[in-house]
Amino acid sequence: MKYFPLVWAALRRKPVRTLITFLSVTVAFTLFGLMIGLNDTLNQIEARARADRIWTVGRFNNFSMPITVARKVAALPGIKSVSVMSYLNGYVGDPKNPSGALMADDAYGGMFTDQLSPEGWDAIRRDHTSIAMTRLQAEHFHKKVGDTFTLIAPQAVKADGSNVWTFKVGQISEDTLQVPNGMIAGSYDYYDRSMPLAQQGTIAEVDSVVADPARAAALAEEIDRLFANSANPTQSTPEKTLLAVNNNFGGLNIGALTREIALTGLLMILFLISNVIAQSVRERRAEFAALKTMGYSDGLVIALVAGEAALPCIAGAVCGVLVAAGLASQLPGVMPRTFGIPAPVMSPTVYLWALASACIMAVASTALPALRLRRQDIASVLSGRA
Amino acid sequence: MTMLRQIVIVSLLGLRTLRQRLWQSLVLVVGMACVSGVLLSMLSMTEGLHRAYLNYGDPRSAIVVSRATIFEILSAIPREQARIVTGAPGIAQAPDGSPLVDSSLVTGVPAVLRKNGARSFITLRSFGPKGQVLRPTFRLVSGRMFRPGTHELIAGTKASFQFRGMALGDKVILPDGEWPIVGTFTTGDLLDGQLVGDTETLMQSIRHKTYSMVVARIASPDAFGAFRKALTTNPALSVDVMRLRDWNAKISADTSAFFHIAVYGVGIILAIGALFGCFNTMYAAVESRASEIATLRALGYGGVAVAISILLEAAILSVSGGLIGASIAWLLYDGVQSGFGSDVFTLTVSPSMIGTAVLWAIAVAVLGGILPSIQAARWTVAEALRAR
Repeated sequence: MKYFPLVWAALRRKPVRTLITFLSVTVAFTLFGLMIGLNDTLNQIEARARADRIWTVGRFNNFSMPITVARKVAALPGIKSVSVMSYLNGYVGDPKNPSGALMADDAYGGMFTDQLSPEGWDAIRRDHTSIAMTRLQAEHFHKKVGDTFTLIAPQAVKADGSNVWTFKVGQISEDTLQVPNGMIAGSYDYYDRSMPLAQQGTIAEVDSVVADPARAAALAEEIDRLFANSANPTQSTPEKTLLAVNNNFGGLNIGALTREIALTGLLMILFLISNVIAQSVRERRAEFAALKTMGYSDGLVIALVAGEAALPCIAGAVCGVLVAAGLASQLPGVMPRTFGIPAPVMSPTVYLWALASACIMAVASTALPALRLRRQDIASVLSGRA
Repeated sequence: MTMLRQIVIVSLLGLRTLRQRLWQSLVLVVGMACVSGVLLSMLSMTEGLHRAYLNYGDPRSAIVVSRATIFEILSAIPREQARIVTGAPGIAQAPDGSPLVDSSLVTGVPAVLRKNGARSFITLRSFGPKGQVLRPTFRLVSGRMFRPGTHELIAGTKASFQFRGMALGDKVILPDGEWPIVGTFTTGDLLDGQLVGDTETLMQSIRHKTYSMVVARIASPDAFGAFRKALTTNPALSVDVMRLRDWNAKISADTSAFFHIAVYGVGIILAIGALFGCFNTMYAAVESRASEIATLRALGYGGVAVAISILLEAAILSVSGGLIGASIAWLLYDGVQSGFGSDVFTLTVSPSMIGTAVLWAIAVAVLGGILPSIQAARWTVAEALRAR
């Protein structure tokens, strides 16, 4: 700590240069934060995926299976509980404003408290004509508890001949990582009873909880086998597999991509600060020679230079990630609503990685000038011969 | 004229001493190379995908989907409505007088991605009797066409690039057993990454009661209005009618908006980094050339000429960095086949994209070099000589 004033004085000598170093490091770590933050968020979603849940949908993507599928799944040994849901797709006000609600039965709410809060599910359970929504959705549609939410669903014409679905907003939940774009949920029972008799008893998805998570994959296969030769073949996937980062983005390796971009940013800035440090050391050779004359060891002098690099690097890294967090919080408002990718959340892990990278950058940028400092001959430098 | 001569002389002098400032200058070159390399690599994908969607299908065609549909797969057109669409005015006719219109089905079939073994879906589309005629670029590459009424499929030539088990002779699990792939085809557009089967056979097998869409060739460009009006004003129908190209733009709009925000966001952040690099490089250049600049000024060269020559040097360094990055992106990615789910397309680094990189480089040079150049121009001779 006693050498801090020395480092500080060196940094203040050329304030413009120090500022440029700091700002460029901040920029590099803003990118780093966004990229590694996204990566970390996706990994967290995968980690939080429940190992004991299986999602079963119609194998050929038609979003409609008879509800008996759920009854048969429930009867399989090893399945603890089963819920069903359907989608009510449509728009709000104008077709340009697509929206949709997940219509879930009462059991679903008990299983998926990581999508909507228990209070949200309770609100739907108490009043089947109400919906619950997450804050993101509520803000988008300017809704508060007690408001009316009207969805026009051209493909879900009710028994009374109308395709206008009116709900009361019963509860607004906080958004969760597992549902990055937020959700609107209503009651399947209400949905089902509103449909014409011929279309009742149709579901889009069966979600089940297994007793032993280790058997989830095997049970998923068993479910599909059960329906393989039926009128309604199914496609069952354990939630862990479904939410795996690798399984999304159509084969795009998003982890590698984000890491490469973050690394490019860091390397680019590393090149810049190495130059700045080298230049600064070159200009102050006499000064360092004087320090050595006074008995400062090679190691200490180099440590001082490293400190000069580390200070703006670390400050820049922290500021950069903070800027990234600020930018990320604005993303949901800018990104298109139907192309869902979670906004990065800056977890402590991201800050730790940023700090570690900043230290590596400081050391790496000091390496070459340090070698030159060690080799320099005090006498010749001070006499101005070198 | 003297101004121009001055600028040329000062710039040449600057470039001649560039070797002494090699490492400094490399900061700007490397920085800009990173920016344009990353920007064009990412753009090669988004532009490739964007072009693939724009060029998807026959531009003379119009598409009818159920009202307010945002994805093909969510569209549902009942048979009786499809029949009305078939009889609408404005549809081109085949030589035998029948309308060039085809109702078809789109669905996803579970498939495993070749690249990482992940579970995904390959798009399965159906052709009715007019399906092939409505796609003039359709050409069988190997095997034969599926026989209507049988459990057979044909696969696009790029389907097996993206998915496992989608080559000629492979069998695809569908209801009613395993359906063999009896032929491969190409249309030169996104259809090449998909499976195609017979409409009525497929609907029967997967128990779809509704078509996904009706595609029709419009008789003449002016006929589209009448075609659309006839369908959207018919109370028996609940459909949206669009030119195929407009529909493609619509369904890919969100994906491309997302990619554009991501790509340009990353690009802009990197460019700001390069801008600081540029500022640093040119600032150091001005400092190290102080006495040279002072001498020039003493000889009567104008401050503006000096400033412009500094900017010019920044631009040369920045653009060369930009071009290096662009060439790397071009060498690595131009013409490479890539896939995003069932969309197989070619990565593109086009001349206009390289032009974009050059423009970015110039912008970085001007924004980053402006302050150092102003400083150089404002120095008095005495100050500059003392700065040494």
